[in-house]
Amino acid sequence: MKQDEKVTMQETATVAADTTDKSVRRVAVQQTIVKVTVQVLLYAFLIFMALIVLFPFYWMIISSLKSLEEYRLAVPTLWPRTILFKNYADAFVTAKLGRLFLNTLFVGVVSTLLSLVITVLSAFAFARLEFKGKNTLFAALLATMMIPGELFTITNYSTVSNFGWLNSYVVLIVPFLVSVFYIYLLRQNFMQIPNELYLAAKVDGTTDLKYLWKVMIPLALPTLISITILKMMGAWNSYIWPRLVANDDAHRLITNGLRNAFTDNSGNTNYPVQMAAVAIVSFPLFLVFVFLRKYIMKGVSRSGIKG
Amino acid sequence: MRKLLALFLAVALLSGMVCFTTSCGKDTTRGNFDVPEGGYDGSEVTINFYHTMGSNLSTVLDSYITEFNKLYPNIHIVHEQVGGYDDVRDQISTQINVGNQPNIAYCYPDHVALYNLAKAVVTLDNLIASEIEVARADGTTEVLGLTDAQIADFIAGYYAEGQQFGDGLMYTLPLSKSTEVLYYNKTFFEEHNLSVPTTWDEMGALCAQIKTIDSDCIPLGYDSESNWFITMCEQYGSPYTSATGDHYLFDNDTNKSFVKTFREWYQNGWLTTQTLYGAYTSGLFVEQSATNSYMSIGSSAGATHQRPDKDDQGNYPFEVGIAPIPQVNPSTPKVISQGPSLCIFKKDNPQEVVASWLFVKYLTTTVEFQAEFSMVSGYVPVLKSVAEHPVYADFLAKADGTNNIAALSAKVCLEQESAYYTSPAFNGSSTARDQVGALLTKCLSAEDGGNVNAMIDKAFKDAIDECEYNG
Amino acid sequence: MAKVGSAIKNFFVDKFWRTFCVKWVWQGFCVNQMYKKFDKWKAWLYLLPAIILLCIFTVWPIINTVRMAFLEGYSGLAAKGGATFSFGLGNFIKVIQYKRFLNCLKNTVLLCVLTVPISTFLALLIAVCLNSIKPLQKLLQTIFFLPYVTNSIAIGMVFAAMFNIVGTAHGTANQIITTAGIINNVIEFFGGTAINWINAGSSPAANITVMVIYIVWNALPFKILVLLGGLQSINKQYYDAAKIDSTPRRRIFSRITVPLLSPMLAYVVITGFIGGFKEYTSIVGIFGETMGPPDDAGRLNTMVGFIYDSLSTNSQGRASAAAIILFAIILVVTLINMQVSKKRVHY
Repeated sequence: MKQDEKVTMQETATVAADTTDKSVRRVAVQQTIVKVTVQVLLYAFLIFMALIVLFPFYWMIISSLKSLEEYRLAVPTLWPRTILFKNYADAFVTAKLGRLFLNTLFVGVVSTLLSLVITVLSAFAFARLEFKGKNTLFAALLATMMIPGELFTITNYSTVSNFGWLNSYVVLIVPFLVSVFYIYLLRQNFMQIPNELYLAAKVDGTTDLKYLWKVMIPLALPTLISITILKMMGAWNSYIWPRLVANDDAHRLITNGLRNAFTDNSGNTNYPVQMAAVAIVSFPLFLVFVFLRKYIMKGVSRSGIKG
Repeated sequence: MRKLLALFLAVALLSGMVCFTTSCGKDTTRGNFDVPEGGYDGSEVTINFYHTMGSNLSTVLDSYITEFNKLYPNIHIVHEQVGGYDDVRDQISTQINVGNQPNIAYCYPDHVALYNLAKAVVTLDNLIASEIEVARADGTTEVLGLTDAQIADFIAGYYAEGQQFGDGLMYTLPLSKSTEVLYYNKTFFEEHNLSVPTTWDEMGALCAQIKTIDSDCIPLGYDSESNWFITMCEQYGSPYTSATGDHYLFDNDTNKSFVKTFREWYQNGWLTTQTLYGAYTSGLFVEQSATNSYMSIGSSAGATHQRPDKDDQGNYPFEVGIAPIPQVNPSTPKVISQGPSLCIFKKDNPQEVVASWLFVKYLTTTVEFQAEFSMVSGYVPVLKSVAEHPVYADFLAKADGTNNIAALSAKVCLEQESAYYTSPAFNGSSTARDQVGALLTKCLSAEDGGNVNAMIDKAFKDAIDECEYNG
Repeated sequence: MAKVGSAIKNFFVDKFWRTFCVKWVWQGFCVNQMYKKFDKWKAWLYLLPAIILLCIFTVWPIINTVRMAFLEGYSGLAAKGGATFSFGLGNFIKVIQYKRFLNCLKNTVLLCVLTVPISTFLALLIAVCLNSIKPLQKLLQTIFFLPYVTNSIAIGMVFAAMFNIVGTAHGTANQIITTAGIINNVIEFFGGTAINWINAGSSPAANITVMVIYIVWNALPFKILVLLGGLQSINKQYYDAAKIDSTPRRRIFSRITVPLLSPMLAYVVITGFIGGFKEYTSIVGIFGETMGPPDDAGRLNTMVGFIYDSLSTNSQGRASAAAIILFAIILVVTLINMQVSKKRVHY
């Protein structure tokens, strides 16, 4: 940084004073040197940080392929001597990942679909329809976003147990179907679509639903995709609520099962198998990320909330 | 109008008579459940039973449910493994809010104290005292309550556990129990001519001696810090908790002094505990290659975990010996009793409660069930007469420190039947239990900053504060 | 996308004029009236599912939490058993006086105060660097975003494994060390001594350090993303103007970049604080549900953890009181943040 600045000032001085051919060339060379140094430093810093960011992933993967003996060596090996894919099979069995995967997938897909329907309808009403108290209602909804979720959990827990929903898929899906944030996001998007379109469609006899389906949804597709991914990631990462309300073998979700499968006190934890389980759980997220990076980043930068 | 009046009178008269007969049959009615007239009337009821049994035990249970249904074909038992003990507690405490709790559940005393907040557990006193004859499907009858002989057959310490809730009422019956025993490496002990300690003083000397033989070892592992603290209180006769009045009494000098002694032992490298070791200390006891221990105090139900793996030739690397845990005063021994009891929940239909009682009574007083259940689970039966049951007697006779280690552990347990104590149960008793365990762990290992007593005093005070908040 | 949009627009606008006239002549004013009337309840129909769910799972909890918080010693089970509770501030007093609550509050605040500035600063640095390179920019950007798409419990377990000492370390005669953990290996490689990070006998400072490292690692991607987005949207003309004036780089950074980025900075700081006050799962990821090293369970417990603990002991009254306190703290911190940014942020 310091060097950088010095050079810049020098450069200013030189340009002002000297105009001969030779010195111009000298300045040009100097400038290139500075530019290159700065670039090298920038890259060095960024790559160093990137390595730090990547290190846990690297450690997860190589640990997951080691034998327990190799993992427990006093001087760790940076690459497994013998690659043990068996750990992955063991992990799948130990943590009963199959069932956990299916549960999570089911809950994720159903809650996303239902949530999209509700969000689209509500956002449409707020964006296009006129009714008494619309603005008050919308403001009230936005205000609820300020309240920490934990405050809801306390009562929701007894509500769902009163409904007799404990240990069911319903309890994992229904309480979180409505997200004020998604409604807000989509409403903003819908508002950008010119109102004349809607009026025209109405006069034309097109029903609201048809209009929504044929016009609004295609136009707001990127937002909808962002919502879908965020919602799915939410299901994948959710921990607190599922642990509270559906912690039985039949309905347990992936995060919960993962943490619990390796916390028994029966003896020495098999870390490689544990790391293999972690890798298996992380993999689908990476896959989604690789293919839908653009939408995820877009959605995330507007949400500010993880999952 | 007159008809109505007559009806009213008849009802009043009838209910008066019912009151009269019930109060006549027993001198007083106790608790929150009155046995309906005639006891069980043979109606169709479904009884839900929550437990933590694995598949082996469920199989045993199923076969005895079949037997039970030969006597009471209309009582349908639906049982379910809900997970661990904490899962059973959490599940039921939420279900009570809605009123769909099961009829019978595995329980620990503090669970019952929690359910009692909602007054959801049936008191058993009137059922136990009932002399009503109930007809069975095979033509015989049985007395609904427990006979004196049946009560006397329960191991007294186990039976008393049902009455420790501060009001003198009976809330639970014991199903199967375990205690803590001392596992020791018999081969090593014989090789070095060591004697098994019976007191804590001997234990201290022994640890020092073992340390001179194998300086790398940690002579003793104690699994449960909570059990250790509570058992020491009982052995010293110093207060721990009380079910009534001021609940938390464990902050006293006797307790501080034994904690301090054990801290010195720990600092000498003589012992470790489950929390400090990071896993059950049985792992350290059966360890063959690295640092190991020569003694381990753990649950009698976990005997098979205290046995080392066979080597390549199919031999056990060493023989395990089992003895009662060391005492402060060997003439008045005290050991903890653990393991599930059964409690019955209130229901609108009194027939469900009576039917539940019949099943609970069947499980806890049937010698054959108790014998078989104990052999499969590693727990010990709650009835004295089970020891004379031929199959179980045969099982005990084969006891040794290798293949039949479970039998050896059961045998050691049964020999100490007079030593069992029970701790008071109240809402907050499980907090006290957790806190004294954490307290002991902390006092063993924490930095003392130059003043051990101040550190221990503070730890005790913190633990009491913690209990007071949650109580 | 815009092309498709305008095509659809044209299509509808054309049709609109044609059909509008016809309908107007044929049916007159009444059609419009009918639609208007219909609209009134139709909107509510569309909102119905959302409103029903919000009433049950958002509105009622708010009311009920406040109710329970002011009923002294409220417990669901005891209420079922017919117990009555007096109205008052008892729950709040009990909770505030409780040592463990203060410990939770301290942990939460400490983690917030440490992680938010560190992660914001690092993110800003990385974002500025990323913005001034061309090749590899997309790749590096992707790498820096990677921690976002992870399960915080799962990767917490990886971090725990990296810091974990296999065996037992008590610093006394009975310590057994099998593997010191990769982080300790690295420290030892550079000549340092191994530190007991998270095992039994570890110091609070070591625990907090691990948590700060993990939380910062976890928080970076979002912040980098937002800040980089902000940087890229800064109009190039400002920089060109500065270049002509030969403004030094540092001045450009402090006079152009930071002010123009200030809305984004305010945004990541505010969301960082809100998220920080709700910290919970990252600690579960590293320490498990004991929320602390094995010999001192609950040492690193946070506000959210405290609320859940109160729930599991059936003290809904205290849980509610704690939740309301948490809400109040978040509200105050957010308001302060907004007040500060109002003065500093240039929109």
